[in-house]
Amino acid sequence: MHTQDFPQLESVERIEQGFEAHGYICSRKIATAVFLAFQLRKPVLVEGPPGVGKTELAKTIAVLLDTPLIRLQCYEGLDEAKALYEWKYGKQLLYTQVLKEKLGDLLKGADGLAESVERLHLFGDIFYSEEFLEPRPLLKAMQQEKGAILLIDEVDKSDYEFESLLLEILSEYQVSIPEIGTVKATTSPMVFLTSNNTRDISDALKRRCLHLYIPFPSVELEERIIQTRVPNVQEQMRHQLVAFVHSLRQLDLKKAPAISETIDWARSLMLLHADELGEEIVRSTLNVLLKYEDDIEATDPALRSLLAGEGTSQPGH
Amino acid sequence: MQSNLISFIQMLRSHEVRVSPAETLDATEVTAALGYTDREILRDGLAMTLAKTAEEEAIFLHCFERFFKQGLADFTAPEQADGEQADATPSDEDSETSGDNFDGSPENALEQAAEDSPALRSLMQGPLMQNLLNNERNELTLAMNQAAQQVDLQQIQMFTQKGQFTRRILDAMGEEQIRRAIIELEQAGNPTLPLLQRYRDMLREQVRDYVEREYLLHAEGKTQQFMDEILSKTRLNNIEHVYVGKVQNLIRKMAKKLASQYSRKRKQVKRGQLDMPKTLRKGIPNDGVMFNTYWRQVKKDKPQVLAVCDVSGSVAAYAKFLLLFLYSLQDVLPRVRSFAFSSHLGEVSEYFDDYPVEKAVELINWKYGGATDYGNSLLDFANLALADISSNTTVIILGDARNNHGDPRLDILQSVYQRSQRVIWLNPESRKSWGTGDSEMLRYQSACHFSAECNNLVHLERIIEQLLKSTR
Repeated sequence: MHTQDFPQLESVERIEQGFEAHGYICSRKIATAVFLAFQLRKPVLVEGPPGVGKTELAKTIAVLLDTPLIRLQCYEGLDEAKALYEWKYGKQLLYTQVLKEKLGDLLKGADGLAESVERLHLFGDIFYSEEFLEPRPLLKAMQQEKGAILLIDEVDKSDYEFESLLLEILSEYQVSIPEIGTVKATTSPMVFLTSNNTRDISDALKRRCLHLYIPFPSVELEERIIQTRVPNVQEQMRHQLVAFVHSLRQLDLKKAPAISETIDWARSLMLLHADELGEEIVRSTLNVLLKYEDDIEATDPALRSLLAGEGTSQPGH
Repeated sequence: MQSNLISFIQMLRSHEVRVSPAETLDATEVTAALGYTDREILRDGLAMTLAKTAEEEAIFLHCFERFFKQGLADFTAPEQADGEQADATPSDEDSETSGDNFDGSPENALEQAAEDSPALRSLMQGPLMQNLLNNERNELTLAMNQAAQQVDLQQIQMFTQKGQFTRRILDAMGEEQIRRAIIELEQAGNPTLPLLQRYRDMLREQVRDYVEREYLLHAEGKTQQFMDEILSKTRLNNIEHVYVGKVQNLIRKMAKKLASQYSRKRKQVKRGQLDMPKTLRKGIPNDGVMFNTYWRQVKKDKPQVLAVCDVSGSVAAYAKFLLLFLYSLQDVLPRVRSFAFSSHLGEVSEYFDDYPVEKAVELINWKYGGATDYGNSLLDFANLALADISSNTTVIILGDARNNHGDPRLDILQSVYQRSQRVIWLNPESRKSWGTGDSEMLRYQSACHFSAECNNLVHLERIIEQLLKSTR
C-alpha cells in the first residue's frame, strides 16, 4: 500500500475527517495510530475495554479505503489449519487414486527397479502444490492484489503458540508453507489486532506492533459520537444521557457501559419516544446499558441521585 | 534530536520501560513521519512504539513531560539564575562596595583588583569568567553540557555520586582558576573578594542543579533497581517492617515476569488436526490404503500444587512470602491448594478465595500460629489430602523441620513421597544447621525429591521457576 494509492491517509487531519464522514468519531490519538500504521507499515495492536470501537476501527478503515476486510476471530484452540491454510485432503486422496491408475502407463517398458524409480522422480508431483491449498484468512490477506485490511480479533483469546505463528506474518508479511516455500504478500495488508486484555500478549508480538490503547471517550467525544450515530436525539437529551453514562462508569460495576451500549441506549430511548430522562424510563431501559443483574441492582438505589447529579460521580450524596 | 531521542529512551529504560533496539528504530521512523511541529501527536506516536502496556504508557507520559520540559529548562534556568544575579549585583555593589573607592560595574572592580593579582588576571582573560560577567547564559549552558559529557555524567548511578560529579564538572569548566584567584584575593585582603565569591557560588549552584536534574533523569530508576537487588538478597525475616510493602511489590514484579514467561495455555484438546503425512506413510504397507488415521496433539493431565506451610513463629515470615508468591502466580500455576500448620494443620485455600492475598496471609498466621508439631500436622495433612495426591501432584513443604523432639512421622511423608510427582522441601535455615538440635531435616530429606535452603527472594524466585518448568 502506498501513499499515492490512498490519499485518504496522507495526514492525521485527513484521516480524522475521513473517519468522521463514515460515522466514526475518533480521538486524535487513534488517527495518529492509523497514520503511523500506514506510513511505517506496521500492525496495530488495539487494546481497551470491550465496546469502545476496536473492531469498528478496522471496519471503518476498510470502508474508507474501499478495500476488502478479512477478519479472523481468535479463540482457544485456533490453529494454523483454520487461520493460515489447509490442504484439500479429499482432492489429494482422489489425486493419489488417479496417480495409481496412471502408474501402469508411466512405468510401461521400464527396465528394472532403478529406472522405474527414476521415471517416478521425473514425473511432476503436484500432491503438495497450490492447487491443493485451501487458503484461510491470513493467507487470503497476503494474496489480495490491491491490499486488504486484516483484522485479527481478540488475539488474547488464542493460544500462546498461535501468537508465534503470527510473528512471521506481522513482521515480514509472508507465510512459510513447509511443503511449498514462502508466500510473500504482493501488497502488504494493513493489520489490526484487538485484545481485551484477558491475558498478557507476548513481548515478541508487542514489539512488532504499534500499541494503541483506546479508553472510554471523554464526554465531548461521546456526545459527538451519539450525534453522528443517533442524529435524531435532541441536544439537551444527548447531554443528559451521556452525562448519566459517564457517572455510571464511575461506579464499581462488573462491566461498565461502553460506547456501543450508549448508542444502543440512545436508540432505545428514541424508539420509546422519550424526550427527557425520567427516573421511570431509565429504570425500565437500564438493562440496555448494564449487562449483569448485580450491576442493575447495585445501581437502582442510586438512580435518583445519579440522575439529579447529572454527571457528578458521587452517588448517594 | 536523534541523540535527544536516544537519551529519552535511556531514561525510559531506567524507569523500567523495556525498549528494544528495534523499537528505538521504530521511534526514529515515527519522529520522521510525524515531524516535530505538533507536540501532542508526537507524544502519542512515540507512546505507541515505546510503551506497550497501559502501565508503561503512564510511565511514558510522566517521563515525556519531564524530559522534554527539561530540555527547555536547560536554557531558561541559567537565565533565571543570571537574572537573579543581575538583580543581586547592583544591590551588592550598594552594600559591599559603595564604601570603597571604585564605582561602576563589577567587571571594572575586578579588573582593578586584577592589577595586583596574577591569578585573577589570567582568570579574567579566560572565557569562563567573561561569560559569567556578561551573563552569557547560552555559552555557559553549552560549557556545562560539554563538561558533563567530558566526565560522563550520564553514567551517574547513585545519589551518593552527585557531589563527586558536581566537582568533576566544575573542574572541567575551569573552576579551580576562580578558586586560586579567591585564595590570592583573600591573602591580599582585597575588598572585591565577596564579589568573586558570589560568582563562584552562583556557578556551583547551577552545576549542582544541573547534576541533580540529570540524576533524576538517568539514575533515579537505577537507584530503585539497586534497592530491589539488595532487598531480594536479604533474609526474609530480617526485612524491616517499613520495607515489607516494597518486598510485596517486588514479589508481584517477579511473579509477573515469571507469569509472562510461562503463560502458555495448556493444550486440552484431545484430538487436533489430521496428521496427513503420517497417515500416508503408515498406509504404505497396506498398499497405500489409509487404513488408520493419525492425529496431532495429545491430552495432558492438569497438574496440581499443594503448598504446606509452617506458620509457627520461627518460619512465619517465610511462609508469608512463599504464599504471596504462589498466589501472585495463580494465573500461570496449576491449581494451588494451600495448608498451614504449627501444632495442627488445616486447609487455607478458601482464605485466598475470600480475601486479597496480603490479608489472607495475615489471617492464616493468626489462626494457625503456635508451637510446631510436625508429626501431628503430617497426620492431619494425610487425612485431608493424601487421597488427592497423584502422579501429577507437586507438594511443597516450607518449614524448618524443628519438631521439638516429637515423633516426626516420617512414614506419612514417605507415603506422600511415593504417591506424588515431586516433594519439595524448602528450609529457611542454612544447610549447615540441618540436623542439629531438634531439627529432623536430614530424616525428612530422605523422603523428598528435592530440598533446598530458601531464605531470600532470589532463592524463592529460583525455586518457583523450577516449579513452573516442571509443572508445565
